[in-house]
Amino acid sequence: MNRVRFSVGDKALVADLRKPDHVRTPDYLIGHTGEVIQFCGYFLNPEDLSVGRTSGPMVPLYRIQFRMETLWRAPQRHPDDRLCIEIYDHWLIPAIETGSDF
Amino acid sequence: MTLRTPSPSHDHHDHDHGGATHEHDSLVVEDEVGNLLAQQMVDALLIRRGILSASEVTMEIQNLEAPGTHLGAKMVARAWLDSAYKQRLLRNGEDGAAELKIKIGEAQLVVVENTPTLHNVVVCTLCSCYPRSILGQPPSWYISTAYRARTVREPARVLGEFGLTLPLTTAICVHDSNADMRFLVLPMRPVGTEGMTEGELSQLVTRDSIIGVALVATPSR
Amino acid sequence: MSGYHDIGGHAAGPIVKTELPFQHWEKQAEAIRNLLGDNARRVVSLDEIRLGFESFGLEKYQAYSFYRRRLEALIDTQEKKGLITRSEFEQELSAVQSRWPSQDQQRRWAA
Repeated sequence: MNRVRFSVGDKALVADLRKPDHVRTPDYLIGHTGEVIQFCGYFLNPEDLSVGRTSGPMVPLYRIQFRMETLWRAPQRHPDDRLCIEIYDHWLIPAIETGSDF
Repeated sequence: MTLRTPSPSHDHHDHDHGGATHEHDSLVVEDEVGNLLAQQMVDALLIRRGILSASEVTMEIQNLEAPGTHLGAKMVARAWLDSAYKQRLLRNGEDGAAELKIKIGEAQLVVVENTPTLHNVVVCTLCSCYPRSILGQPPSWYISTAYRARTVREPARVLGEFGLTLPLTTAICVHDSNADMRFLVLPMRPVGTEGMTEGELSQLVTRDSIIGVALVATPSR
Repeated sequence: MSGYHDIGGHAAGPIVKTELPFQHWEKQAEAIRNLLGDNARRVVSLDEIRLGFESFGLEKYQAYSFYRRRLEALIDTQEKKGLITRSEFEQELSAVQSRWPSQDQQRRWAA
């Protein structure tokens, strides 16, 4: 089982893993930094499940919150407009707070 | 027979995504071919090969037909009336559902609360993830290219197309339901509902308000 | 892989609100999917189906409706696992099809 590397409140960057085939991390998040808002638990990796591998390891899953302004590089109707999404641990890199993304 | 919805007229878009035009999603329903394939798969493939039985298929179809808005509405109405229940529901969606004897198939349920300063809306950009075991099948627009593509980027415009304009003081949170959680929005209780019973309140709650593209309307007297 | 299904943030037109009815064959497709994936069988998982329609190619993906895509992905995955070959399935299908009354005939019977 992989270690839970992030706590609620941590900043995390979505890595550009360039994996072929089935992934559940959408393209529009790659390279952006968000804030961890929830630890969801351990789950089997859908990348493994898509090819019938059910033997694990289990992967930590988090809900991450991104500011719309930074995702789309455009002014938003409200400064707090945001997007929340689930990301598996291995897609995340600890981010240093830059001040621009959150 | 093929049923197609009318394609919306072309607006100005950038078409720089491998030539694929996303803006008109003809929701094709092949009555004949799909019909035949499904039936044949049930009969030849599975029943004859002993993998499924006809009665299992019938029962599973009944299971698919059973859930609906009324289950989500029940949870919403209870949360409006009972603030301790609401807190439990927001903390753990499956436990909150189980309290009302609502069984969930999906792994985990997250219930997100609308407030005067925050409005939530749910989409699955990658496919069609939706709390089917509670609400039933998603509406066609939820699985359309346009909804999946645009909601994460321009939620206020999308909500506007559903007739919903939020005050400028209300921020929007879009939930992209992409993995193991499923989402329900807990809409705000409208004014003019004081003294209503749980049953009366649940009648007001629409599927669209639980997805987040509508508010629950004040009942007209 | 960033495929044709990964469309969050892409440009798109107005949202068509017309709600299509949940047809019987679509319910059958969903029922098959749920039963094949259940604990008794574990033949096909949801992620395998997703990989299936993510591998169709853009043309096939766009040509088929949502439930038809699921059916086709179910066929592909079962073939991968040696449960049936597509040609076997199609043979059985055309045998049935030749006995299937045409739409016109059905209408006449129903009249």
